[in-house]
Amino acid sequence: MFSISQDFAPPFKLISPFFILGSLFYLLASVFIFFFTSDNLLLQDPKVLSFVHLFLLGFVMMVIFGAMAQLIPVVLEVGHSAVELFYVIWPLLGIGTILMVVGFLGFPALLPYGGTVVLISMMIFVMEIFSTIKKVKKLNIVMGSVLISNTFLFFGIIFGLVMALGYAGTIEVDIMSLLRSHVYLVIGGYIAITLMGLSVVLLPMFGLSHGFSMRPLEVSITLMSTSVVLVVISSFVKYALIEYTAYTLALASMVFYFYLVYTIFKTRARKELDIYAISLIYAYFSMLVALGLGVAYLASSYEPLLLASGWLIFFGFFGFAITGHIYKIVPFLVWFERFSPLVGKEKVPMLADMLPKKSSHAQFVFCAVGVSIIAVAILLQDDTLMKAGASFLVVGASALVRNVFYMINFK
Amino acid sequence: MYSKEELFLAISTVIDPEVGFNLVEMGLIYDAKCDDEGNAHVTMTLSTKACPMHQMILQWVKESVEKMANIKNVEVELVWEPAWNITMADDNVKKALGGA
Repeated sequence: MFSISQDFAPPFKLISPFFILGSLFYLLASVFIFFFTSDNLLLQDPKVLSFVHLFLLGFVMMVIFGAMAQLIPVVLEVGHSAVELFYVIWPLLGIGTILMVVGFLGFPALLPYGGTVVLISMMIFVMEIFSTIKKVKKLNIVMGSVLISNTFLFFGIIFGLVMALGYAGTIEVDIMSLLRSHVYLVIGGYIAITLMGLSVVLLPMFGLSHGFSMRPLEVSITLMSTSVVLVVISSFVKYALIEYTAYTLALASMVFYFYLVYTIFKTRARKELDIYAISLIYAYFSMLVALGLGVAYLASSYEPLLLASGWLIFFGFFGFAITGHIYKIVPFLVWFERFSPLVGKEKVPMLADMLPKKSSHAQFVFCAVGVSIIAVAILLQDDTLMKAGASFLVVGASALVRNVFYMINFK
Repeated sequence: MYSKEELFLAISTVIDPEVGFNLVEMGLIYDAKCDDEGNAHVTMTLSTKACPMHQMILQWVKESVEKMANIKNVEVELVWEPAWNITMADDNVKKALGGA
């Protein structure tokens, strides 16, 4: 008799809080948008910083960490080194996020505390991943992407903590020079490279794609990694050529990544446009528009272009790439926990049966309309349009929370 | 003791919960044989190497053959060559997935 390795299947109660909290933070971030006006739509505005940390830490990082608890053994083909550590990661990340969000909103003394709690949470995550990677005998490109992205995350959170201490007045640092490195290390170095690496595992798995080349992924990750390192260097060596070379490499990296996604899409056997597929299509479309807006900003220096680009990368690309995967990962986890022991004994549901079909499509439509309207509102600096978009987004985010609970409670 | 077709019929009770088709019509079962002593050997693949249900699916295949009368031992061999692709699936699968 084969035994089902629990190393490859962390307990559901360990992973589910990441998805529940993540969806709640997504809803909170959507509500937050009602409090923006065109006056505070500036990159350095504390409200913007608070919002960005609420979304990135509370939603993006929370869900990615939860997904990694399940995906790391699958990707690395070894069991977790100490999977129990994930029980402390989500409470620390949640508390740290709230402290930082409140800190940016007018209580800067909370920032070092929030930053430290987030740092501890992420350090536990990174160290657990590193010690799991140590068990791997030979790294392939996907495993390598996990190692590279977590190394960037390690440095990104150290930069973030130094900045938090600077904001609170505890130490004197040039926050502006550290900001770019922090943003790039976390977003380009960790989130983007993690998503790139996982793309060649998850997209072909769900789309049943075969016969595509991995070479574009290698080129894409190499270019993005070089770009991140150059941005960090440019924070300390004030030489514009280094900075612009880094941006060019990041853009080239995305071109190769999109080519990879295109080849996976072209070779897929599964053509149905389910909630997963349409969420990813919207995510990649948002990224393409965001890249166009980013290039336009470099040419014009008109800040709303950069803000709209950032908005589409965050809520458009990251948001929809993650919500799309939530509809695949959460049903699997519930199915594995609740129904897999019943296989062969009684009729069990298929994974697709566990999705709230109408509600998940409503979530997609309301969020997609909301994100699109807000992107236009940022470009036009229009408060009314912003609130209209936020209204759609809050309805969509509420549906997401409802859908997560529906899937988790499916019996 | 059992023909390949009989073994395939037993394995066809195993359904991939992600796509909703059984493993035989998906073309994932490459070969199956059984000697007179009741020792069965199944050669199969999976649609992807990074399948989180990898171990469970192998177990289900083993159990589906073990349910057959007089089967004493079942070995499930997982191979990656030839790599699975949609052309190995039955026409009804290809049609349902949209790949036909």
